[in-house]
Amino acid sequence: MTCLLLKFMVIITTVSNVLGDDFKEEIFIKPLPPTHLYSYFQFVTLVNSEKSFAHSHLSPRSLGEIISRFQVDELHLTLTEGQWRHKQWGYPVIDAAPGAELYAWFSQEVTDIDDQWRKLSATLSGLFCASLNFIDNFNTVTPQMALWPTGPVKGNTNVTSLLRYASLPREIVCTENLTPWKKLLPCESSRGFSALLNSRMIHNTNYHSIGVHVRNVCASKDCTETLLEIKQTVALVYDYKIINSYDWSFRKLFGQGLPGACPLSSASTIYVDITSNDTQPFKLTPPPDRIVLSQRGGSDTKLAVYDIKADGQMVNIGVKQDTKEKLQLTVPPPLHFNRYVLGYGKEFGGIVTDLVNNYWTAIDVVLLENAPWWLPIQLSSLRINGEAESKLVKSMFYSPGRSRQKPYHLELLIKLPPRSTTTITIDFEFVFLKWQEYPPDANHGFYIGSALISANLPTAKNYTSIPINGITYDSVINASKPWYPAVFRTNGAMVSLPTPDFSMPYNVICLACTVVALAFGPLHNICTKELVLKPVGTPVSLTQKLLNLFKRKKD
Amino acid sequence: MSKQEPKSEIEESNRMWASASFVGVLIIIGLPLWWKTTEVYRVALPYDKISSFSELPSIITSELTVLANDEQSASEIVGAIQKAFEGEDILKLKIKKTIISDDLHRTLESVADEQDAIEEVGAAFDLTQHNQFYVVQRRPLFQDVWLGGERVMFFRDTKAAPTLIQALKHWVYQTKVLSGARSSVADSARRTRFPPGAAYHVVLSVVHPKPDKLSVDFDAEEAVEDYIGSFVDELSVLHNFTLKSQWLYLLDFDFQAKEIKDKSEWGRHFAVRQERLHLLLTSLEERAATHVSELPTLNLALYAAPCHAAPLIIHDQRGQPVQSPVQAFMSPKWGGVVLASPGQAECQAPQPRWRPNVRVVMGTFISQLRKLLGIADTPSIPGGFLEPLRSVTPRRWEVDSLLRLRTVEQLTSAERTLQSLAQLLGEISNIVINDEVGASINSAVDSIQEASEVMSQGHLVEAYRVSLKAHTAAETAFMEPSLLALLYFPDDQKYAIYIPLFLPIMFPVILSLKNLFLWFRGKTVQKEKTE
Repeated sequence: MTCLLLKFMVIITTVSNVLGDDFKEEIFIKPLPPTHLYSYFQFVTLVNSEKSFAHSHLSPRSLGEIISRFQVDELHLTLTEGQWRHKQWGYPVIDAAPGAELYAWFSQEVTDIDDQWRKLSATLSGLFCASLNFIDNFNTVTPQMALWPTGPVKGNTNVTSLLRYASLPREIVCTENLTPWKKLLPCESSRGFSALLNSRMIHNTNYHSIGVHVRNVCASKDCTETLLEIKQTVALVYDYKIINSYDWSFRKLFGQGLPGACPLSSASTIYVDITSNDTQPFKLTPPPDRIVLSQRGGSDTKLAVYDIKADGQMVNIGVKQDTKEKLQLTVPPPLHFNRYVLGYGKEFGGIVTDLVNNYWTAIDVVLLENAPWWLPIQLSSLRINGEAESKLVKSMFYSPGRSRQKPYHLELLIKLPPRSTTTITIDFEFVFLKWQEYPPDANHGFYIGSALISANLPTAKNYTSIPINGITYDSVINASKPWYPAVFRTNGAMVSLPTPDFSMPYNVICLACTVVALAFGPLHNICTKELVLKPVGTPVSLTQKLLNLFKRKKD
Repeated sequence: MSKQEPKSEIEESNRMWASASFVGVLIIIGLPLWWKTTEVYRVALPYDKISSFSELPSIITSELTVLANDEQSASEIVGAIQKAFEGEDILKLKIKKTIISDDLHRTLESVADEQDAIEEVGAAFDLTQHNQFYVVQRRPLFQDVWLGGERVMFFRDTKAAPTLIQALKHWVYQTKVLSGARSSVADSARRTRFPPGAAYHVVLSVVHPKPDKLSVDFDAEEAVEDYIGSFVDELSVLHNFTLKSQWLYLLDFDFQAKEIKDKSEWGRHFAVRQERLHLLLTSLEERAATHVSELPTLNLALYAAPCHAAPLIIHDQRGQPVQSPVQAFMSPKWGGVVLASPGQAECQAPQPRWRPNVRVVMGTFISQLRKLLGIADTPSIPGGFLEPLRSVTPRRWEVDSLLRLRTVEQLTSAERTLQSLAQLLGEISNIVINDEVGASINSAVDSIQEASEVMSQGHLVEAYRVSLKAHTAAETAFMEPSLLALLYFPDDQKYAIYIPLFLPIMFPVILSLKNLFLWFRGKTVQKEKTE
């Protein structure tokens, strides 16, 4: 036996670094003139998914275990605080709804998807310390047109039925979500780009969003083999007002310099968008390793690229503005939108979504409205630019909600005419909830989740997303395509439902009891007692004597 | 009496009937209705069966076959064993004696190696049965008693009887550990081993704090599958195991090690104080994601010491280095850690590269796993020879012993869980027992009775399965969150709501009872008088 074991030792010559996992980290920084700065972190781990998740190397075992236990094919989870302003800032790399948003495609082998979905959200809630356990059937929809998997799918699969989508707009994102998120990274927060994610600084932003995106990607051209991609992202929008200067640097943004790359990453790259340098000159220090010009869909982008080494050298990339007087006017992106609530009183209201197409061709968009069951929207009240029957609507899906079981779900495929604003209005009525269904602090108001807008943009203007077959950020360079798919989230909204006085039940009990007790006494007396005249001179009892004593004193 | 009663008397009876109807509605109908509607839901439970668990026989029957060369020594040995095991309250031995056939006798005398002798015994008797054990006489033995990995023990002659009994008690049947599983105070073995369960996860974490300074060649997957896989395969009759491995990089942990000069190849070592070791577990727990598993997890961690802090040597409380080829420690009911340090040659190479000794590391993990899973230590017995483990697989009689141990443990634990649940139900009146919990309590009770029956018949594997079922059902019932549904609605709050209603109403009604009672008595007296 000893001999055998020794022989076996010799056979093992596999090196741990050749285990197939690959980890890359990237930062993309883009000034959003005039007053904001967008920084996007992405940590990509590629895992050979043919092997089981039981043995993990660079990939997080906790996430792998959840994905394999619940048989998830693709998963997207974002936790966001703040609202991305598409009109001023253009488009982010990955858009996210305010609060928590989770959607996943399950494997075809799963029989009871709803059950699996509930278990998945409950487990993720434990992993990320988020209230995802509040996801249930009554706030889950199955989008029919708005969402499609980003990974390869086997032919003739009905992917839509495997999808579940839920968002929790009330969720507040804070450090307790960031810490478990960091633990999924192989370098955790001690080394590499994640060392910049100092919770004190990143929660001091106008917008921050952390995300985990798991999907399958093709390992080869013909896609006979797939790899599992686990992508962890952070998006931050800094306000120059908050950092107190128009010049930014890593030290100002993150509180410290970058202590080199993560020693486990195969590539650690920083991209800084310096296109705005032409109109608003600034100086980048230290000088980049190279400058790349990317021509994509009619828009030119200049990217300064830094390759960071794992040598422990402090890196502090920064920008010094040359002039401060110039104020640049931003050109809004080809498609932007706005959403607000109509109405007064506590009976009826309406949601309005404005979609603006600035481009010179028509744009097809899918709009997904997802209203909770306590806000019934009526399809009959749907108006597009004020018309009930609009020619703009190419296709429509409506699934009415059911009280406490299912949300209202409306999807519209609309052709937005060139250079136009399309207004979509739908009315709702307010519902009385049972007193236990009100959340704590019910007078704060009730959140309505964001609407999803899925568009195939004809131009890459303001578009920063990675192409669907790309993994790292360098795949955006010169990636011209006939169209550019994007899923946006509108802003959420808030309504104030009729809210009762919560001490009422106890008051009612007390009042009713008192009334009953007061009424019962005389009633009982009248029924069971008799009034008897007492002749004068009858012997007086002891109690009577005492009572008389009191009466005399009063007089 | 005349037909026309006095008017006052009619009124009197009307009043009394009104009073009686108040009593009827409020006390006779109202009170029971209120009692019924505010009652805590409880399924009828077999309390009598639960309280009579102590009367159930808790005896494991085990078969022992004594093979001796002649009738006299056979009965002498059997008599000695019987006498020694008389006082055991859990274990009952069913001893058979047989005279060795001439063929076998001749081969046993001639064969030099004990392993070959076992093969010869195996050819004559079935050694694969659980809960069977063979004590075989073999004259050409250097020791009194010889025990290997199979269910066979050799003894030299009748003079070896005391050693044989010692070996049976402390090695094969482990009567002390067995009674420890029943006692109310946990012994050291019970404090170390994992609580019983149907399945476990085994996770090997390779902790590599400095991946940039040193590369570690260690295939965690292969190591786990080969070594731990073949170990736990032998225990598949007891538990299901899922094997996992992971790498944890850049774990910052400061051992606060003190550099001490010595005569090793490094010329130094780093002394880690024993008290600091548990802090490593805390920082491991932060990263190892042990909480995501749905089953209890046995954690094994290989800490690859960085070059600048190598070699790490654990120092005990007195400040003396622990003399052991492998620096390792174990945390009861959590898992084990091996601290491995690279050699000087590997660290001083231009590209530091180190291949840990897989055999030594995994061997250490196996020995830790044995304790964590409940395989007891074997004390040394003068005159007795226990063959050291040659492979990762556990000895066959150890598996039997573990089966007995777990059966007793699960049964005891299930009984105690149900008893304390019954006691709690008596003490706290607003615990809900719904149908589901009731069903699982009933199934636990049935399984306990079945297991103790099967156990006393000697069907060990079956008894283990049933007792596991009982244990699981009892734990599910005890841990069911629905028990607590009404715990936060205590009685005083109930009364706070009902008393404003009941007190003013019940007061006049109860006072009227006296008059009513007197009137009824008076009426009957009157009736009697008239008759």
